[in-house]
Amino acid sequence: MTPTKTKRAKKAKSTQWNPNIVVFACNWCSYAGADTAGVSRIQHEPHFRMIRVMCSGRIQPGFVLKSFEKGADGVLVSGCHIGDCHYIFGNERALEQFDKTKNMVRLLGLEEGRLRLEWISAAEGARFAEVINEFTAQVRKLGPSPLNSDNRKR
Amino acid sequence: MLDAGRHPLIDVISNAEVIGCEGKPGDFRVRVRKNKRYVREDLCVACGQCTDVCPVIAGNEFDVGLKARKAIYRPFPQSVPATYVIDPEFCLNLLGHLSEKQIRRLEKIQKVKQRKNLEYSSNILPCGHCTEACEVDAIDFDMQAEETELNVGAVLVAVGFQEFDARKLGNYGYGRFPNVVTSLEFERMLNASGVTQGHVVRPSDMKTPKRIVFIQCVGARGEGGRPYCSRFCCMNAVKDSMLVRQHDPEVEDVTILYTDLRAFGKGFDDFVQRSLDEKSATYIRGRPAKVDIVPEDDTLEVFVEDTLGHEQKRIPADLVVLSVAAAPNDGAAELSEILGIDTDAYGFVSRRDAAVSAVESTRDGVFVCGSAVGPQIIPDCVAQASAVAARAQLFLTGHRVEKHEEPVEPLDVSGKPRIGILVCRCGFNIAGVLDIDDLVQYATTIPDVVAAAGNTFACSTTGQDDLVELIREHNLNRLVIAACTPRTHEPIFRETCAHIGFNPYLFEMVNIRDQCSWVHAGQPLEAQEKARALIRMGVARARQLEPLHEGEVPMMHSALVIGGGIAGIQAATDLAVQGFPVTLVEKDKQLGGRLAKPHLKYLYPNMRPASEVLTAKLKRLKDSGARVLLNTDVESITGYVGNFEVNLKGETEELIQVGAIILAIGADLYDPKDEYGYSKLPNVITSQELETMLVEDDKNVEVAGTRPKSASFVLCVGSRDPEHFPGCSRYCCPTAIKQAILLRRMGMDITIFYRDIRTISTGAEEMYREARGLGVLFIRIPEGDKVQVNGTDHAESVRCFDDLLGRQLEVPTDLVVLSVGMQPKQPDTSKFHDILKLSVGLDGFFMELHPELGPVETTVEGVLLAGTVQGPKDIVDTVAQASAAAAKASVFLAHENVRLDPAVSVVNEEKCRGCGTCAEICEFHAPELVEIEPGTFVARINASLCKGCGTCTSWCPSGAIISRHFTDRQVHAMIDALFSAETPK
Ligand code: FES
Repeated sequence: MTPTKTKRAKKAKSTQWNPNIVVFACNWCSYAGADTAGVSRIQHEPHFRMIRVMCSGRIQPGFVLKSFEKGADGVLVSGCHIGDCHYIFGNERALEQFDKTKNMVRLLGLEEGRLRLEWISAAEGARFAEVINEFTAQVRKLGPSPLNSDNRKR
Repeated sequence: MLDAGRHPLIDVISNAEVIGCEGKPGDFRVRVRKNKRYVREDLCVACGQCTDVCPVIAGNEFDVGLKARKAIYRPFPQSVPATYVIDPEFCLNLLGHLSEKQIRRLEKIQKVKQRKNLEYSSNILPCGHCTEACEVDAIDFDMQAEETELNVGAVLVAVGFQEFDARKLGNYGYGRFPNVVTSLEFERMLNASGVTQGHVVRPSDMKTPKRIVFIQCVGARGEGGRPYCSRFCCMNAVKDSMLVRQHDPEVEDVTILYTDLRAFGKGFDDFVQRSLDEKSATYIRGRPAKVDIVPEDDTLEVFVEDTLGHEQKRIPADLVVLSVAAAPNDGAAELSEILGIDTDAYGFVSRRDAAVSAVESTRDGVFVCGSAVGPQIIPDCVAQASAVAARAQLFLTGHRVEKHEEPVEPLDVSGKPRIGILVCRCGFNIAGVLDIDDLVQYATTIPDVVAAAGNTFACSTTGQDDLVELIREHNLNRLVIAACTPRTHEPIFRETCAHIGFNPYLFEMVNIRDQCSWVHAGQPLEAQEKARALIRMGVARARQLEPLHEGEVPMMHSALVIGGGIAGIQAATDLAVQGFPVTLVEKDKQLGGRLAKPHLKYLYPNMRPASEVLTAKLKRLKDSGARVLLNTDVESITGYVGNFEVNLKGETEELIQVGAIILAIGADLYDPKDEYGYSKLPNVITSQELETMLVEDDKNVEVAGTRPKSASFVLCVGSRDPEHFPGCSRYCCPTAIKQAILLRRMGMDITIFYRDIRTISTGAEEMYREARGLGVLFIRIPEGDKVQVNGTDHAESVRCFDDLLGRQLEVPTDLVVLSVGMQPKQPDTSKFHDILKLSVGLDGFFMELHPELGPVETTVEGVLLAGTVQGPKDIVDTVAQASAAAAKASVFLAHENVRLDPAVSVVNEEKCRGCGTCAEICEFHAPELVEIEPGTFVARINASLCKGCGTCTSWCPSGAIISRHFTDRQVHAMIDALFSAETPK
């Protein structure tokens, strides 16, 4: 692939807006689920970046808020199914945290659809891909985040 | 599997068979033939390029032929070793599939070629696509089978089972009708990573079936020559029916045709209840006569007699799933002969005496576990596997190996970050989609990056050498590798780092294969952009990484076993014979628990006197050298794995220090109080009371001064009862049948009132048949109903609605025996719950860490469960579990020190306000509030208890907790980097 080709292709594509999505995943289930999608070569939308932590319980409101502040158009928090957490109840704590985060995100004036919580197991590669596709479509429909600085400039 | 493959003390020899075994326990010489796989294990990096180019397509065994694979393939995605293998049956380069005539012709051609020297190739039928594609030259068509001799102390047989071949039962139409599938085939369809990505389809037209019928006990419990029960199929069908409902709303009806619903395991009955509540399936009791096809619309019809509703039914179905029985493996008989061990009547490996040791075969030093001895559910398999490990140790003592690592001089990693990046091509796996040169070039533009390079296979031996070279040459103090997933490869790279003294926690992995090139192959531009971003984020995180050092605390090499019942005796013996000092404390004045006089006369199914078994066990215990303290109780326990302090009180009062604790306090039996007239009517007794009578005299039974002529047993008293214990007590069905047979032999008329007969253990199903043969009457209690015991000053009859006859039945009786279930032992359970902080399940029994992965472990490291403290089980399962607990304890005790993971949470005491939130939410009780000055509290996290999940960090209101290796700073740096856009120029 040559750089010129790259540029041309980029221009051609620019008709469709692509969101910036941050995905937080726990090491044992949802991150592994994303790997499983890979092993099974299940293709999905590429407009997300994954940040791995050991357990969804580690995902504090600050991480999510910071992502939005920096211009994320959507944030997905994910972990093991309830009852499957590697650390027993980490994901239930994550759920409680998530409710708080949701309120704060609302205060920021962001649409609820930009933040989502999903439980995905290590075996559910297909589901991981599905969730990513769905969420990407949903965020795409919402359009660029009002907090996105690029956006404000434009 | 990955753990086993990676363990430094485990050699995996795959694709091999045992061809001889000589010698004696402690010194076996086992001959092994390693079959040709045509791919060199030492070279293959499992990149899969060979598979991509291979032109031959064959059926995939792992997906039971529902999916295709190539002639060179990896058996399944997680296989260990990851090495590929060539199937000689299909490979064009190998001649397995050719007739003799064809081979002769080919040889002729080859000779001609050789003579004329027309670019002579060693292959007769040169396909060679894989050889060309393989960049590490791992493919070797000249590979020969190898024979090796291993010198070992003990042999474990864990060959598992195979599916019963449903073709043998022609009336179900398996093999004739495409839409009749086995449970295993169905399972592969349901699996998200399986053939149909979790969609259930009819094999004939790939449409979603609207009506699914499960047929249970196919080839089991009397069918196809197999009297035994396969244990796992009932729950499997229930689970599958729920899964399919959740997944495919198009499925309208699921019907399960069962004989007895054997939900005997922990939590299983709850699960069935949930399925009933959710109406995920219709349950019909009955065995179908046949499955037929309706030619008009290509659907199926199942003919069954509903034994509860008394009607002949024809159930229409789009898909029929046969829950097939477990049969012994084809090779098991041959292997048993080679190893010199016995098999039972059905071909499973027999055990010498399952009640004494659940895992010993008939030859000393040869052990067996899992489904090789007969069908098992996973938790029991895992417990037995650990039990084997404990028993096998006996022949390995003195061989215990402790890891000795020579300390390496740590490299100097101080100063400003000097980051090096290695971008892996992974053959074509990454390079086929991403532009590696561009990524390398891009990496060099990121601040602090001093070196960047590409590599074909970073994980191969040469790749690792390149890595070391890179670190040394550029004097790196941070390392980023962009390659596959950290979940499999981080340990490998970390080891390489540690090897040369480069702190492994200064290394960061970026996943550009599994989560990038593999899943965005169709959008290379976006994939490239994503890979750049991921690398940028990885570098940002690497910049913030800190060197961490593993801590160590000394390990006390002794253990405490609490409870002197059968489980405690077994666990203490197994540990003590390995040379660990063991203390066994028993509250009572004698050992033996429920096995001791006057509690138990005979063990089922082989009617061995309990006293004999107990004597054998006590002798083993005595010989083992364990210290036994009777009339002694535990007052308090403090500390953590490796260093527990235990206060004993009673006959012996002392303070002991141990490294591990095994809890084996047993269970209570349910007290029926005034249920079924128990407290009022003298001839209503519990099964335990009957057993005590049998201990005194097993030829005569006298109740309230008379000898009864008839007896009725009522099962599930206090079990499967949401008010008392919702689960199944497992031991009562076979025990009642055992007692019924004894009473029947005394000439009594026997009736057994049951809900489901759950004779799941080895030999129990046969006993059930024997009882029926002797004329014992079995009457099923309808769902949700209870029997009624009639009589004013003594019980005269038992009343129950009989589904078969469709009316009330009154059975006159002289004796009523209530088969009482198990209950958590109280107040002991509450007491140990408090002092050890172990979790208790909803059923009141102690909770294991994980039913499959950690059946004897608890949330408290170093504390293990043995026997009925974890839930009801019979003697064989108790013994197996106790040995498993001993094995797990010895894993801790065998270590010189307790290794402390450095990637855990720590408190910044200056910031801590002592609010105690962390102590409240931690499941592992790692944080603790300490008073540093009068009135001032701070939290401190015990590194030996912390698992490093980081939940407390995110909950701390004052931000005082740091999750090492996943610090706020590291995560924030990644977020920053993500958006510090490489804005399109
Ligand atoms: S480990 Fe996955 S949510 Fe806790």
